Amino acid sequence: MNQIPVTVLTGYLGAGKTTLLNRILTAQHGKKYAVVVNEFGEIGIDNDLVVDADEEVFQMNNGCICCSVRGDLIRILGGLIKRRGAFDGVLIETTGLANPAPVAQTFFVDDDVRRRTRLDSIVTVVDARHVAERLEDSHEAVEQIAFADVILLNKTDLVSSEDLTPVERRIRAINPTAAIYRTQRCSIDLAAVMDRRAFDLDRILGIEPNFLSGNGHEHHHAVKSLSLSTDRPLDGSRLVGWLQRLLGERGQDLLRTKGILSLSGQERRFVVQAVHMVMEGSFAKPWEPDEKRNSRLVFIGRNFDEAELRQRFESCAA
Amino acid sequence: MTLATEQGKTALLDRIGIVWSLGAYVVSLAFLNDGILAAALGDGRAVFLGGDRADAISAVPVHDGACLSMAIDPDGHAVLTGGDDGRLVRTPDASGQITEILSVPGRWVEPTAVSPASGLCAAATGKAVHLFARDGARIATFDHPNTVGGLAFDPKGQRLAAAHYGGVSLWSAKSGTQEPRRLAWPGSHLALTWSLDGKYIVTAMQENELHGWRVRDGSDIRLSGYPAKVKSMSWLPKGRYLATGGAESVVCWPFHGKDGSLDKAPLDLGWGFEGVVTVVAAHPRHELVAAGYEDGAIIFVQIGRLHPALIKGPGDGPVTALAWSADGHDLALGMESGLVGHLRMSDWRVPQA
Repeated sequence: MNQIPVTVLTGYLGAGKTTLLNRILTAQHGKKYAVVVNEFGEIGIDNDLVVDADEEVFQMNNGCICCSVRGDLIRILGGLIKRRGAFDGVLIETTGLANPAPVAQTFFVDDDVRRRTRLDSIVTVVDARHVAERLEDSHEAVEQIAFADVILLNKTDLVSSEDLTPVERRIRAINPTAAIYRTQRCSIDLAAVMDRRAFDLDRILGIEPNFLSGNGHEHHHAVKSLSLSTDRPLDGSRLVGWLQRLLGERGQDLLRTKGILSLSGQERRFVVQAVHMVMEGSFAKPWEPDEKRNSRLVFIGRNFDEAELRQRFESCAA
Repeated sequence: MTLATEQGKTALLDRIGIVWSLGAYVVSLAFLNDGILAAALGDGRAVFLGGDRADAISAVPVHDGACLSMAIDPDGHAVLTGGDDGRLVRTPDASGQITEILSVPGRWVEPTAVSPASGLCAAATGKAVHLFARDGARIATFDHPNTVGGLAFDPKGQRLAAAHYGGVSLWSAKSGTQEPRRLAWPGSHLALTWSLDGKYIVTAMQENELHGWRVRDGSDIRLSGYPAKVKSMSWLPKGRYLATGGAESVVCWPFHGKDGSLDKAPLDLGWGFEGVVTVVAAHPRHELVAAGYEDGAIIFVQIGRLHPALIKGPGDGPVTALAWSADGHDLALGMESGLVGHLRMSDWRVPQA
């Protein structure tokens, strides 16, 4: 069954989300999109289908307090499926103050949504001038960066290049795996934004955690990241047991988890990814005969003890 | 799915059915009073099938987008459809001349309900539920805290129930300001059905379970244990059982005791099939249920009989709609692929087990 690709556009108020949305819609790609917005704004491309949504976030009754989903999206995607073949993909623009977690979790929690659609990536537009302040005063601005697969550091024409470097380092400290592009008026090759398959377990192989440590002025409750790595093969059941326990207990603080792991006795890579405590894992392509087998695990979150996670990770060695 | 080969039988649809290929997702099916079969499609058309000639077909574009829901007009000769173009329209089978009842641009008209008893009609756009008289005049608009996922009238058509996040709101189906009675239960409530005797309301939830209430005192009834989301519910004659999808078998909850289904185990009918039941439709006169699967197979099960009968083999995508005629002589089936089938079953008998 063909899964419809879905791209989520997030970004704080005024960062340039709508500019990016219009760029995607007006580009000559011959594709037709269904666009889910929260208010009819300055879009209205005749060829595309615009759906007005209320961001209805609710908690699932599964005893997991961080498992909230977007009820309106479940309904909208269910309705769009009825228009079989009428569009090639879905773009979801969230409000500037939205936390992206419920959107992302919707694609893993609801069976129908999961079967019929595929979360392609979360793209976050950031205003290069104001992001430093926003990271101080807005929880949502931090989460939007933490959840991103692609970050457009936008409005770079309004900031000097010396000022951009610390901003970019600050973003890296929160999210070491996202692709960051410096843009003006969201001008970007759409191949960098669309069809990235960022949530496909096969494609997580591309993660190259950036070990830049930019935690210059870390404060309480700050979102940070931790990249773990080891060359020793890991014990599969011990590792999965630990991750399940960890995400079950601490999933509220761990926003995203990604890993490519070398398990003892396995010829194939084991890849995992999680959005809060919603985790999925599977075996991906085999290691090449001459390839160095290395396990990498990245956590993005808050309130975690780096030393403890590192020690637990290492104790999963076979 | 091995039943057909095991029993050496051809599916009933291949033996006695008429089949159309309509080329769009079949959202809903219903038989009108004159025996015409109406279909609402994902490409925005309402299609009328049969009538003077068994294979006759007339299609009317009714929505700019997809039809999302359909109900039979109280007069029995027209359909009311809700669409993702924000419109609720009435389309008579004879003329195909559509009348617009409601238009809310930018919104979707999804759940739609009609009461044959009172002639009232209701449709939801987001959090608002609009109530209409038989002539299409708007009587009232009821607001809810969240988007309404399901709507149903009580058997007399005097009360209206709307399912939403956190429970159900009960309204008097009349004009004027009123505070609804709320039946609360945490979680997102989607499809809603009112029992044939008016005593119970059952909702299908976002989680893999149903929730029921006894309307009289609001007491809760939990109907859980499903492996998948329940998308379809149908009452057997006299409301003795509620048949449901969401499992590999047809799960039928007994409602004939004095406390409804409270603390009772359901019947599991039609074992031996793979995949999940997506749609159920109970026969209007006998204790029979037609059930469609996500793999496209359709079976018949009967309370008290072991073996199901095969109506349609797998294929053509998931089953999306099933409907019986009021006399129970005709069964219609619709598929995601756009296939629609009609079986005239008046001289066919359920095989003896």
